[in-house]
Amino acid sequence: MNKAGGPSGGGGGAGSGPTASSAAAAAQKQRSLLQRLDNDISNIVDSFSLLVSVSRVNEPPVRNSQEAFLMEIRAAKLVQSADALLKLVSELKQTALFSGFASLNENVDCRIAAFDQEAETTEKILQRIGEEAAGSLKELESHYYSSVARNFAHE
Amino acid sequence: MEVERSKRMRIDVDKLPMKRLHAIDEIGNEQFPLDKSNEEQRLSAIHRIDFSVLVEKENEKEKEKNEKELSKSKDGQQQTWQGLIENLQQAQHELSVILDLISTVEANDMVAVAGMQRPKPLPNEALADFAVSAATKVQCLRHLGKYFKQSSKAMEQQVSMEARFYGSLIRLQQNWKVKRQRVGGNEGFTFDLFDSSFSSASDATAMTRPSHMSTISIDRDTSGMLAIHLPQKSYHTLSLRFLGDDDSSTCRIKSNTSEKKASSSGSGMAWQSTSKESPMDEDVNSCIETTHSILRDIHRSLFEEKVFDMVNREAYNSQSSQGINVTGMRQDLLQLVIGQDNSLCISLVLSEAERENKEKGKDDSYNEDSSEMFSSSALVPISLPTDDKNGPSRSSSKLALSSNPVLSLQIYLQSIFHQEALLKAKEGRGSSGSLLAHFCMTAAHRVFSNKVLSILENLVSRVPYVELVSLPTWHSRTSSWNLRLKVPEASSVVDGGSQKQTRRSQFLTNVVIKDGQISLRGQSSATVVASFTGDAAEPHSVNAYSCDLEDFPMFILHQVASQVIQWLHEEALVVGMKTSMDMLSLKMNLEQGDILSLLARVDPDDASACISWVLAMLPSGTEDAVTFSFNQTDSENTRLKSLGSLSLESLHSVLMDLANICGDSTI
Repeated sequence: MNKAGGPSGGGGGAGSGPTASSAAAAAQKQRSLLQRLDNDISNIVDSFSLLVSVSRVNEPPVRNSQEAFLMEIRAAKLVQSADALLKLVSELKQTALFSGFASLNENVDCRIAAFDQEAETTEKILQRIGEEAAGSLKELESHYYSSVARNFAHE
Repeated sequence: MEVERSKRMRIDVDKLPMKRLHAIDEIGNEQFPLDKSNEEQRLSAIHRIDFSVLVEKENEKEKEKNEKELSKSKDGQQQTWQGLIENLQQAQHELSVILDLISTVEANDMVAVAGMQRPKPLPNEALADFAVSAATKVQCLRHLGKYFKQSSKAMEQQVSMEARFYGSLIRLQQNWKVKRQRVGGNEGFTFDLFDSSFSSASDATAMTRPSHMSTISIDRDTSGMLAIHLPQKSYHTLSLRFLGDDDSSTCRIKSNTSEKKASSSGSGMAWQSTSKESPMDEDVNSCIETTHSILRDIHRSLFEEKVFDMVNREAYNSQSSQGINVTGMRQDLLQLVIGQDNSLCISLVLSEAERENKEKGKDDSYNEDSSEMFSSSALVPISLPTDDKNGPSRSSSKLALSSNPVLSLQIYLQSIFHQEALLKAKEGRGSSGSLLAHFCMTAAHRVFSNKVLSILENLVSRVPYVELVSLPTWHSRTSSWNLRLKVPEASSVVDGGSQKQTRRSQFLTNVVIKDGQISLRGQSSATVVASFTGDAAEPHSVNAYSCDLEDFPMFILHQVASQVIQWLHEEALVVGMKTSMDMLSLKMNLEQGDILSLLARVDPDDASACISWVLAMLPSGTEDAVTFSFNQTDSENTRLKSLGSLSLESLHSVLMDLANICGDSTI
């Protein structure tokens, strides 16, 4: 089984790449992902807290429409942050799919070992089948040649 | 009292404007003044501005208020009306101030507003405002709540879709290589089925078949399930056929995945999701299994294409000295002649399902949503599921049980090329010999050994005391059998009280086929070759020799007959007879000097029995009893007596009788 391909920049740990530049790129990628995560979470929290604070009923009625608009904006921003978070999760899954070289290689090695084991088992099974077939053939031949049918045919 | 009350009571009447008074005529009708022009209005407004009057009025009003307050305590009802009147007056006063202000502004006079004071709202007004604000907020929050619900539902669906897709992709990635590609801004995934173990640097310039099947693009359907795009008409299977065989002997194998339904719409989507919006885990599992089996079939098809390419390449580069001649070569077909007799055709054909689809056409009922087009090159087991449509499978099951070697040869071809690929991948080198040559010799050996086997079976069926024993060699180009001649158990002979003599219970002849060469090895009284060539040979020797197919039956029968003669000779020696063996005869000397000979006649073409026996009375001095018997006929000479085909027991009894006749028996 062949190893997976994909972009070289991955989500692996810093310092584990073959070269310093790739390790730095990986670290940078990790930082950017964490930054995005923090931004999205903070946006969600801020939007929600502002929503709650704006929900208070104030005396001047003129402010209500202004606050309603503000609440809609914040709600939209909250949903947008959640969507961005989902995209981040997708991106992380893709990164895990294509850039988790350690786990991929380990998986490949495990599969190779499993297939080799299966191949050996199959070989042994085939050998055993062959031996059993040979034994069965020998038995059948002896039965046939000692059977009444064959002897009767020649009588 | 009433006079006092009348003195204390004061009635204040508002002063009417003089102009209005003047406007009222004697009758009492008020004559309203005509509309004035703007300038007149402006002037009148200016004249009207007299704040001192207003101040006086306010003072008066305050006094009046005090007086009213005093009078209020006295008369409640009057105070209520008076309060109302006061409020109206205040309102009028304020309105007049405002009107004056407006008219002043209209006159473009600068007016400095000292201050504006909104009157404090009443509690009910404040509460009403608060209630309106709260209701507005509640409505806004409800709207936001609906929006959040819709968004959460959509996000949950998206999350589940992503989980299904990526979960399937991760599970399939355990066995297949997944690649990411970006086409036109859109990101997509593909399965890369290219097997690098078949390619190497030296093969870069070799003829390779471009396979568009090695990259399978991945897509997702509306429910988020993983789906793959398949190009149509691209499944090929390897097909072996000996030229001259009918189509039923062609090895066509059908995949078990043909039982699984898969869609084949015009876009080539492999998996069509169910109509459910949220597929269950079982649907996901079955989708993954179907995809996996489809990919496996594609991979197998690619492997068979590679095998065909390698066969093609080796045939193109092979030398005719290896015994292989290429008689036909096309893109998908290769015809070989192995040796002089065997013609083999190796081709790439469409898979079973694709051929069925082609035959059935587009009107087929299961062409749109479910087809078997992805069943390509899996090996079919011997026991196939009963299916009325499964015509080819019945023939293939017959093939499996018959002596047709096509299926096993195809498996063997794939196996040796696979081993070659593995060697290259692991050790970076290939095998030293030509695989195609080896395979062709294997195929030729299979055909030849089948012929030899049929000859042996035919002979054994006509010789009752010979048994054919198969000896598996587990080598592709070597076959071996034993012909076992089982002699009857004889009673132990005691020779003057001495120990028992151990005698053989069987005679073995080993037949080995190796690369078209037949080798015989067995015990006999004399070498069979010597019987043909006339050379002297040592008796009781284990000899080995080769022969060709035409002489093979005769060699076998000679060997068997000589073994029988040898056994009879041993039996005769046991009973004390003086006998001698010579090729296919057992000679006993009579007292008169004549020789009584028991001769074996072999005839491979005899339908009833291949070995028959003749008793001959030979004149003294006859050396070659067999030649003598061939020169005689039964009708001419009473010295020959044909005994026909006899069993070993009968032969033994004949021998005993001869022993008695000869008078040399010591029993």
